[in-house]
Amino acid sequence: MRAILSVSVPFTRDYDTIRAKLLQLEEGDKTCIENALHGVNQLVMSEWGLQIPMQIILVTDGSSGVGAIGRNRVVQALPLPPLYPVRIHVLPIVSPLDPSLQHAMPIYQKIVELATSANSNSMKAMSRGVVYCPDQLSLPGITTAVSRLCEQQYAEACRWLRCGRLEARVQLYPPAQAVVEGGPPTHPAHHIHIIGFITQQDWGTPPTISRHLVLPQPQTFSSTDRRDSYTSKMTSKENQSSEGGSNEEDASDPSKIPNFCVLLHGALKVESMAAVVSLGEGWWGALSAVCEPSRARRSCLVLCALAPGMHAAPWLGPLDQLGPAGEEARTTNESIVLKAARSYTSGGCGGAAWARPHALLADVQKVLRHARKLPDKTQHLYKELNRLRRAAISLGFTELLACVGAALERECAALPANAPAECSLQLAHAAAALRDPRAALDAKYTVQPLTTNFGQSRSSSPRHSN
Amino acid sequence: MYPTNHKTIFVLDHTPYFGISSENPIDFDVTKGPRGPGYVPLPPICKSLWTCSVEAAVEYCRIVWDLFPDGKLVRFVVSDSAAHILNSWIANQQNLNHILNGLCLIGGVRRGAGGDVVGLCAAIEALGEPSPAQAARPSTDRHFQNRGRIICITSARDDVSLRSLAEIALNAIVQQNKRTSSTPPTTSTEASSSSPVLTIHYCHLVVINVIPEKAETLVHNQPLTEMGGGLMGVEVIVSRASQLATLLGRLVLPHYKLSTTTVTGIPMKEEQNASSSANYDVEIIHSAEAHAGLRATQSPTEAMESVVLRWWTPRGSEASAVSCGGAVWRVTPADVASRPSACLVNFLLNGRSVTLEVPRKGGGRSASHTLSAHAGELWISALGGRAPHDDPPALSDGAGGRVTDYRIKEFGALIQQNRLYPLRGSGANARARSRLQRHTTYWPLTISSTLIFNLGSFVEPLTRLVVQESLTDEELEVCRSVLHMLLNMEFRLEVPSSHLPAALRGKWSGMRREEQWRQVWGEVEALVRAHAASATHRTLLHTLLDCRAHNHAPEGESNRASVIRATTDSPLSPGGVASTTATTSTANSEVWAPRNVLDALLGAPRPPRRPDFAGRMAAGSRPATLYQHLQQDVDASH
Repeated sequence: MRAILSVSVPFTRDYDTIRAKLLQLEEGDKTCIENALHGVNQLVMSEWGLQIPMQIILVTDGSSGVGAIGRNRVVQALPLPPLYPVRIHVLPIVSPLDPSLQHAMPIYQKIVELATSANSNSMKAMSRGVVYCPDQLSLPGITTAVSRLCEQQYAEACRWLRCGRLEARVQLYPPAQAVVEGGPPTHPAHHIHIIGFITQQDWGTPPTISRHLVLPQPQTFSSTDRRDSYTSKMTSKENQSSEGGSNEEDASDPSKIPNFCVLLHGALKVESMAAVVSLGEGWWGALSAVCEPSRARRSCLVLCALAPGMHAAPWLGPLDQLGPAGEEARTTNESIVLKAARSYTSGGCGGAAWARPHALLADVQKVLRHARKLPDKTQHLYKELNRLRRAAISLGFTELLACVGAALERECAALPANAPAECSLQLAHAAAALRDPRAALDAKYTVQPLTTNFGQSRSSSPRHSN
Repeated sequence: MYPTNHKTIFVLDHTPYFGISSENPIDFDVTKGPRGPGYVPLPPICKSLWTCSVEAAVEYCRIVWDLFPDGKLVRFVVSDSAAHILNSWIANQQNLNHILNGLCLIGGVRRGAGGDVVGLCAAIEALGEPSPAQAARPSTDRHFQNRGRIICITSARDDVSLRSLAEIALNAIVQQNKRTSSTPPTTSTEASSSSPVLTIHYCHLVVINVIPEKAETLVHNQPLTEMGGGLMGVEVIVSRASQLATLLGRLVLPHYKLSTTTVTGIPMKEEQNASSSANYDVEIIHSAEAHAGLRATQSPTEAMESVVLRWWTPRGSEASAVSCGGAVWRVTPADVASRPSACLVNFLLNGRSVTLEVPRKGGGRSASHTLSAHAGELWISALGGRAPHDDPPALSDGAGGRVTDYRIKEFGALIQQNRLYPLRGSGANARARSRLQRHTTYWPLTISSTLIFNLGSFVEPLTRLVVQESLTDEELEVCRSVLHMLLNMEFRLEVPSSHLPAALRGKWSGMRREEQWRQVWGEVEALVRAHAASATHRTLLHTLLDCRAHNHAPEGESNRASVIRATTDSPLSPGGVASTTATTSTANSEVWAPRNVLDALLGAPRPPRRPDFAGRMAAGSRPATLYQHLQQDVDASH
């Protein structure tokens, strides 16, 4: 950590690269924690974005780089909390009795605390990091501190995936985190229960808070015994003795023991379905077979955790009310998704957009366009006219109705001499109707087309039978 | 925790002053070319101040309700000689149609006195009413804060009268809070009255002073000022009527932490000229969080502006939008009625998605967001960097990965039988899980570990029906006939594996016929036993046990065995037979499927166990010897 910072090794899983690089590191001139964190923030944001939970381990020599006076300034200059969810751990390589550590400790505490303080993304709040001080400044002391860190922060998270009576022990990677959202944190339950299945398409892409690889783990023997209890009861001695050799061999190789997880993955993939799972009280997620868009292009079982709460996937309705369709399984492929009505789906939205003049003009032009295409568009004219009228009434825009009335009269006057008589009659009727106080005030009133018998006969001679 | 934007109340001034013209003429003849002689141009018309304020408020609501279908509530109070409250906090009154219908009834501005004060006071009362979410909160919630925002669209003479308006509002809040706290029953005994009034912890009052186009005003903008010790924050904004909608469209962004994106370079075909396409821009509104990734390197002033993202047309081999499982946010077009907006919206609603990229001068391309529609709503998602597991271990290397004969097709069928549907009422999840539980009670994972599920049409009716919660008499008969058929097959000395598909026979070919039948009956019993919860299922189990008794019960076994093996084996305790006997009788001792405690309490009492075979009881843990007396007789005869 120096006044100048550099990225020694980019994100990698190549252990040797890191080891080789570590030997080449040179000492810098000054401890400058806030600079380092700025650098880390940039690195993380450019490579991982803001959705992936991170852990930062600050390895330091136990000095804060500033005196007592500068301490507050450093704390204020810390770029924390960052935009991405993070937990910072501090590992000071220093004797616990070193006075500089006593001095730096408040800063470390502050860093750990600030990293997880009220994040801009409250959904992704994480539990706090820890300062790992070695008991003594010696290799064993530091090894103990580091292994303590690994045990506490990088433990494999194994859970049971259950589908009715079928189950498998799985590892979630990255481990599922407790979710803090305003109230008490929601902890992921030890068992992930499959509730049922749903098509990938219906499931869609609801807002997920985290994604985890689901990796099947070797079964512990007690469970396999229980599940396959019938075989031990039913198979005779003879059978066991003949196949005993291969059984023992299989038992030593977990990849040859059938695992529910692999079956589930295969079936979900073939059916393009997702399994809806319960992650805890009032917390849902989905398992699906996903082909990771990476260089590996491998298909794996992925768990998407939704935000806790039954409304986390709005188009499926309340998630606690997802249930089976009755004994005779419906196999129709109709979508079960609830369609939402939004302003942009309903076409016009009744004058709500008239604040923009072009929207108003477009609606008026629509009426006039129909007016010019009488008598074919009589029904359309009145339909649009009533829509326009309704919108104008709700906005208290009576001036508009007078104006449209005038425009209709002008269209009437501009009719060519050979136009059918119905055109002029309907236009005059519509214009007069707009001046009717009922039409201008009562939204429930509907302007009806003038009843003529021209519609049926289409004779050009004007017969005023009505 | 309820943020200020949980509840918003619009107070619209409906006094005669708002009937005056906004003096911002709209010309309807603007798009028309020259027409025939005698063509009278239409006089341009002006909206009234009232129309301007209504449409601006409605536009604000449109954005809020498009992006937050629940949780963000807006109410309308129209103020003239009285306060007209257009809707309540109830969900079914939180939509544009309800508001527009209410406004129809209010109508245009009429003569008469009145003012904004009465509406403002009604709004403060409304703020005290709990929203459905607030009413349902646990009473132990200590961090509960009842906050809200009042947007008052009015017109005042000068700054002084606006200040007095703010003071009236503050006073009303203080008085209302006093009344609330002086009636303790609402907090302690809970809900003696239908809707207890909540204390107001904070109110953000936005006063918008509307003036016609050319008018002067003595009112000045006033930045947010705290009043009453942080109980109320007042902000005054002066706006021309014509600019009101733009103003509210801008105000909604900070109020709900939104930001805008301009999608640029959308290719669209013209109706008239379908061969060429022009590029259009569409502005969309969404949560500011969607930009968090882009904004890391931006200055605060840049962050206020709309982010320009380019329509990404996939080129050649480039992969199109990759599905991302990250966060998504709702989107609504800023200008819902414009043609380019409608075009983009329809494109998305038809099921296609769009990738957006950050325009770069250098020519490098990086996809940053995707737009897509789901369930009739538009969503934006941020494509964030790397996945945390970009080199996932192959499933084939893991546990169970080398097993190649999983019953994938059958599990697919199980998946289809256990599809979920949105139902009404609680307990649906539990029903789904108990159904899964039933369907998986006896479910071999691999093809090679089962015979009965591979026998196809012979056994299929049984395996299909037995997983049901209960069986009708006809279904029971079908299941029974399957059992009888199996029994007949066994009597005809058929080999079960001969009915398997050719590919599966290999594994079983090494197994003797008797062994195969034992496996078949064992599996059938395990399957039926696992489901023996209902009365009909129990009848089926008895039928099954009877069937097994025919050939596997001790007597039957030895009788048949004597026919076949008379020359090789002594009928007296042959090893193989004895072990089978022991196995079968242990199985028989537990006739009933295991039940949990609840089942046992609720279910029918089980009849007492069948008395154990007397010989076995006498033998204790040793194998029971059959026909002991025969030996005795022989001994005696000697």
